[in-house]
Amino acid sequence: MASDNLPSEFDVVILGTGLTESIIASACSRVGQKVLHIDRRNYYSSKWAGFNFNSLLSWIEEYKSQQGSQSTEDEAEWRKTLEDGEEVLPLSADDSFITNLEVSCYASLEAEEEVKENEEATETLSPAAPSPTEPEEETKGKGEGESSPDVTQETTTSGETQHTQEDGGCGVQEEGASQDAGQSEEIEQKEQQEDTTAGPPSSAKEVKKKKITYADLVKEGRRFNIDLVSKLIYSRGSLVDLLIQSKVSRYTEFKIVTRILTYRQGRVEQVPCSRADVFASKQLTMVEKRMLMKFLTFCLDFEQHPEEYQEVSDQPFWEFLQTKKLTENLQHFVLHSIAMVTKETCTEDGLKATQHFLRCLGRYGNTPFLFPLYGLGEIPQCFCRMSAVFGGIYCLRHSVQCLVVDKETNGCKAVIDTQGQRISCSHFVVEDSFVRQRWKNTEEGHISRAVLITDRSVLPADSDQQISLLTAPPLEPGGPAVHVVELCSSSMTCMPGTFLVHLTCSSKGTAREDLESLIAQMFYVPPSPGEELAEGDERSGRPTVMWAMYFNMLDISRMDGSNGFDLPSNVHVCTGPDVNLGCDYSVKLAEKIFRQLLPEEEFCPPAPDPEDIIYEGVAPQGEGSGFEENPKTEGSPLQSEADGLENHPESEKEAAEVEAPIQETPKEALKEDASPSEE
Amino acid sequence: MAGGSVTECKEYLFKVLVIGELGVGKTSIIKRYVHQLFSQHYRATIGVDFALKVINWDSKTLVRLQLWDIAGQERFGNMTRVYYKEAVGAFVVFDVTRGSTFEAVAKWKHDLDSKVKLANGSPIPSVLLANKCDQKKDSSNNASLMDNFCKETGFLGWFETSAKENINVDEAARSLVEHILQNDKGLPYEESNGDRVRLEQDPATAESKSGCC
Repeated sequence: MASDNLPSEFDVVILGTGLTESIIASACSRVGQKVLHIDRRNYYSSKWAGFNFNSLLSWIEEYKSQQGSQSTEDEAEWRKTLEDGEEVLPLSADDSFITNLEVSCYASLEAEEEVKENEEATETLSPAAPSPTEPEEETKGKGEGESSPDVTQETTTSGETQHTQEDGGCGVQEEGASQDAGQSEEIEQKEQQEDTTAGPPSSAKEVKKKKITYADLVKEGRRFNIDLVSKLIYSRGSLVDLLIQSKVSRYTEFKIVTRILTYRQGRVEQVPCSRADVFASKQLTMVEKRMLMKFLTFCLDFEQHPEEYQEVSDQPFWEFLQTKKLTENLQHFVLHSIAMVTKETCTEDGLKATQHFLRCLGRYGNTPFLFPLYGLGEIPQCFCRMSAVFGGIYCLRHSVQCLVVDKETNGCKAVIDTQGQRISCSHFVVEDSFVRQRWKNTEEGHISRAVLITDRSVLPADSDQQISLLTAPPLEPGGPAVHVVELCSSSMTCMPGTFLVHLTCSSKGTAREDLESLIAQMFYVPPSPGEELAEGDERSGRPTVMWAMYFNMLDISRMDGSNGFDLPSNVHVCTGPDVNLGCDYSVKLAEKIFRQLLPEEEFCPPAPDPEDIIYEGVAPQGEGSGFEENPKTEGSPLQSEADGLENHPESEKEAAEVEAPIQETPKEALKEDASPSEE
Repeated sequence: MAGGSVTECKEYLFKVLVIGELGVGKTSIIKRYVHQLFSQHYRATIGVDFALKVINWDSKTLVRLQLWDIAGQERFGNMTRVYYKEAVGAFVVFDVTRGSTFEAVAKWKHDLDSKVKLANGSPIPSVLLANKCDQKKDSSNNASLMDNFCKETGFLGWFETSAKENINVDEAARSLVEHILQNDKGLPYEESNGDRVRLEQDPATAESKSGCC
């Protein structure tokens, strides 16, 4: 928690902790570069961040009150450090990449008597009150949020949201709020099917399912991990390869995406994609099964059969499918759920996409996809940890206000940080939103996102612990196809009894305009918080939306790295994330930038295993007697690059006093394998 | 859980964090405990993630303790979630010869409790280490003050340790592991953990599968 000054010389300064920046940080540290990795925000992962429910609410408040926080007071100070021939290139003070943010709460705002009893039952097990992860920020964000009028399209319900957030705790204690009690008994019965939820003890204890209120979402807020970016990981994609190769994989675990779903004619159906699925499918006739298998087998090595597609390779894939004697049903599956392309995509690209999907099957599970436990926001942090382990210096709530550019060479020599400190570097890597004003053209796109918390799956199954990918075809011609990822509680992204649903598409309009009608078709959105469906309503089988958030995210991935920016050549811009389902764009960009920085170096070689590291200094005398320091030397060269930050104070002080502390260790060493070593 | 040899042996993997200010001796404690080493020449903690200590707790229990050092460079206190996640215990270390490092203990503890919790929502068990006790100048006994401090800030207890002289390091670890084992027995296993996937190509490393991180 010390806050001493930053060193003033680095090889690489990186601003932004998104996936691309974090991979670059880890790659550079790994090969011995001195890396400073900073982020203006108080959390890791930048655009890729995931928040628990309470932190997300604070983040929303902070977003609404966001103002440029550039400090120019000390300008005179750092100006002095400028030399002749140097000029200053300011970065954007406003790095916001989110627009049209809207939040609506549909969960009951009322406290119920049952809830109270329930509360007491769980209280004994979890005495800790729901506390936000960053309490300091929380308070700050709230205070500013209330007085800010510059909110984009605030809905009425989101106003209420604000209030309940504040008196969420008190709401539970309200004694008189029992008018809902009778109603909720009915719901209990309806929702009994969900009682199978395997979850932590607090919920396992409740025999009867209680209706989840807004207060519950807040109380169990830490069980949510809500990502700003929703992507899945192809099991044979570049991110998996990189995680394994670099051994960054040791920091995280994954869940297999269990189902591929499609939405067609108002119904959610499971898409058979593996061989086993195809044959087990009840929706397909025998003939269809054979046709589909034949077609998929062809796609797996379509290059071997050029005669089948060569002539039409630039024609739409959709038309190609129609020539392959596939029924309409199957055409739909292949186009939207397997290839996941549009009707306009050309045949060759469609075949490639289908092939990629098929090749990813079976490596880890029956679908091609993995999802990281605790959410996608974990992945950049895994790379940051690796970078820190190899000496990268990390500092949040810290930014760069401008670059110092040599007029003659047009190279960036140093950066001036937000404290006015001049930090020299050979390369500067930056998240795209900080250099928006340096675009050569204004070709920018947006991604439309919605995040829902619901009470059941869009397709209930025997187990409610399913992670599903659903691709919804455009509702009207020319509209965007929507990726829907539904996460269950065992993915560690939502509380037991709920599902977290991410919707993503490229923007035509605002996120709400793009996604609202699909949501209205697939889910039940209560007209007012807590309002129940009348009995026999056609929507009664659908998941109920308890909470929803819409926003648009800037997408300038088409600018493809630094080419589209008017910047010095040793400034590298990390664009993205893109709208595609996989993470490949960002991984490939990281590798490309790394090659520009350090063309001679290996990209993310395997990190030594912790057990393989030899400690510098003296080995104990008892080395041979059962206490094994692994003889591999992989880790040792790195030791010599250490600069003594961690332990110098201690060592300097003690160096004179102690001569041979190691002498006493053989006995200890022998103890290592003796059992029990702890008596 | 990987089975033992003849008798039914329960194997645990526990992730334990070692936190505290710069230079209080976190790495020294880990090295003393795991590798029986002490040296003045430790450099910054580079390239080291965590150290593994295998403890034959009793005839039926094998404990693999993963001790996670903060990478020396995460020194502005901005730890990644990766560091905290699924930890089941922690040591918070301060240096008895530097009062400022003790003042930071409450901050570290608060940070710890806000970043990681046990599955049931309670804070993870943590033990306070008053390190470099061999260099303590005054022999004043403020044990009751420390006891009170631990009570107020939610530590299980505290130990005066010296990584250099090997004082109390094993004892502190034993006390923490005892509590972790108690917690573990009190909680049902999450069956859902079974289908978590680790990305490994090398099946030899699959042994760590049984644990939490």
